[in-house]
Amino acid sequence: MRYWLTRLGAAILLLLAVSMLTFGAMNILGDPLFNILGPVARDTSNPRSVELIEQAKAQYHLDDPLPIRYVLWLSDFVRGDFGVQFSEDGQPPVADLITERAPRTLALLIMAQVMAIAVAIPWALWSASRANSTADKVSTVGAFLVIAIPEFALAVIFSYIFGIRLGWFPLTYTADTSLGERFHALLLPAITLAIPICAVYQRLLRTDLITTLQEDFILTARAKGVSRRSILFRHALRPSMFSFVTIVAITSGALIGGALVVENIFIIPGLGRAIVEAILREDFPVVLTIVMIVALAFVLLNLIVDMIYSIIDPRVRR
Amino acid sequence: MTNMSAHMEHDQEALFADIGHIPVHDANAPVRRTLGIAFWICVAWLVVIILAAILAPWLPIKDPDENIILRNGERPPYPPSSDFWFGSDQDARDMFSRVIWGARTSLTIGFVAIAFGFLFGGTMGLLSGYFRGRTDGIVSFVFLVLLSFPALILAILITSLLDRSLTTISLVLGVLAVAPVGRVARATTVSFADREFVMASKALGAKHPRILVRELLPNVVIPMSALALLGIGVAIVAEGGLAFLGLSVQEGSTWGKLILFGSGSRVLREAPWISFIPIAVLFLTVLALNFAGDRLRSHFDVKESAL
Repeated sequence: MRYWLTRLGAAILLLLAVSMLTFGAMNILGDPLFNILGPVARDTSNPRSVELIEQAKAQYHLDDPLPIRYVLWLSDFVRGDFGVQFSEDGQPPVADLITERAPRTLALLIMAQVMAIAVAIPWALWSASRANSTADKVSTVGAFLVIAIPEFALAVIFSYIFGIRLGWFPLTYTADTSLGERFHALLLPAITLAIPICAVYQRLLRTDLITTLQEDFILTARAKGVSRRSILFRHALRPSMFSFVTIVAITSGALIGGALVVENIFIIPGLGRAIVEAILREDFPVVLTIVMIVALAFVLLNLIVDMIYSIIDPRVRR
Repeated sequence: MTNMSAHMEHDQEALFADIGHIPVHDANAPVRRTLGIAFWICVAWLVVIILAAILAPWLPIKDPDENIILRNGERPPYPPSSDFWFGSDQDARDMFSRVIWGARTSLTIGFVAIAFGFLFGGTMGLLSGYFRGRTDGIVSFVFLVLLSFPALILAILITSLLDRSLTTISLVLGVLAVAPVGRVARATTVSFADREFVMASKALGAKHPRILVRELLPNVVIPMSALALLGIGVAIVAEGGLAFLGLSVQEGSTWGKLILFGSGSRVLREAPWISFIPIAVLFLTVLALNFAGDRLRSHFDVKESAL
């Protein structure tokens, strides 16, 4: 229990640090009034704008010192009030935009991770069980090559081959279609994201498995006549799970970045598309909300990984 | 917490252990001394790209921004031919020279970012690994905060708030390199800080700066050269990611921007070479950097290399 409290405390501290960094960047590097109101903030000749500026200054406490503004912003943010968009009437609020867009990004990430893990584990077992054979060497070189392809490059290549030439997948995502069609539209982007991380997982797991397979308990199991399949899946795989969970967590963070980019190539209206549209409009409440949400997801992910650790290996809690 | 960090270190070793070989725990095993032919092929490719990038203004290549309309009645984009080795883009600009000019910006971003990361991250890591104690605690927390921020998100935040000049983008990516580089520098320093030659230097009355610069720095920097190569690759790819978010440098072209311009579905259908050629050059460069970095790493046997 004490361990969990410490972990939770550390996570909260980290979140606060991240939010301070975000908020500090917005207020020190940028022009907060402009970031709240957009172009109106520069138009001091128009009485209507001046009125809006005064209103915003009061609403966002812009005349208060930075720490007070931070606390006020944080209390709004925590309660789910992410502010308004820079459209004429500020509708829909940023929170609504996020609830519409985020599930698509999340679906993309989950599909990519599931596919990558589902392929990487059997692939690693397959190559570890025939370590240093020709087939293993070929697959190792293949994994090395795949890792050097950036996601956006793979996305362009795939959309040309499978989208344009072969026509197997749609080139854009349409929101109001059946679940099956939306799944189909997300499949190619998910594969794009899955391939490089799958190669990373395979590389790690293969090395780990090879080390494990040289251990005495594997020899014992073999001497007892345990089947090859059972040795690989039940004896060799488990000790490797620890580092595997770590790499899945580390790549999940990187994968969020990859998803934001890939969404823009396959034109999926998720968070990545939203942030690019917002950057083009200089719509800072949207940019900052997405930045904060991704950072939050990242910190939570690390916390979850620690929980999984302690389930896999109870020694961590001590 | 100590238990946690012990675990983290164990994992990092497991994660980034040299994946190419079966680990052998035999101290008498012969160590491979040569870097191998493939390593030198990678180095040759990198030298060619770097020279082309530096010498671009003096090379006998077409102007990357000139619209060269062929007089044979065809309309651009032109496919690769003897007139355009790598084809041309929609505006009849020569892809070959555009890729070379793109290399200038992309490589500059890569080098500046990693130089910045090494300068600041390396110094912080060296100091915290040598002094330990409170310095170490603070520096490690700073690294943790930086690392818990998804890299691309920090880049988005800063480039969208500031500007999209070459300096800003290089420095943002440099800031992102600080924590990963710093962690490795710290771990490497720790592994040397208690060694006999450091103690001998202390016993001879050397002051901290001398020990840091003369004893520890050379031992930390050399194995970290492998990390620098890997890091340059990461930074070049990161610029490409930023380009696809509309946040790459505003002026001039980079490999990321070239790929972006060729990736619209109509252009891709008509003229796949516009994006495929920069993709190929980017891929080969990143591959060469990764391979050379990996070889160097196993050559120097740096287990903590994490990037």
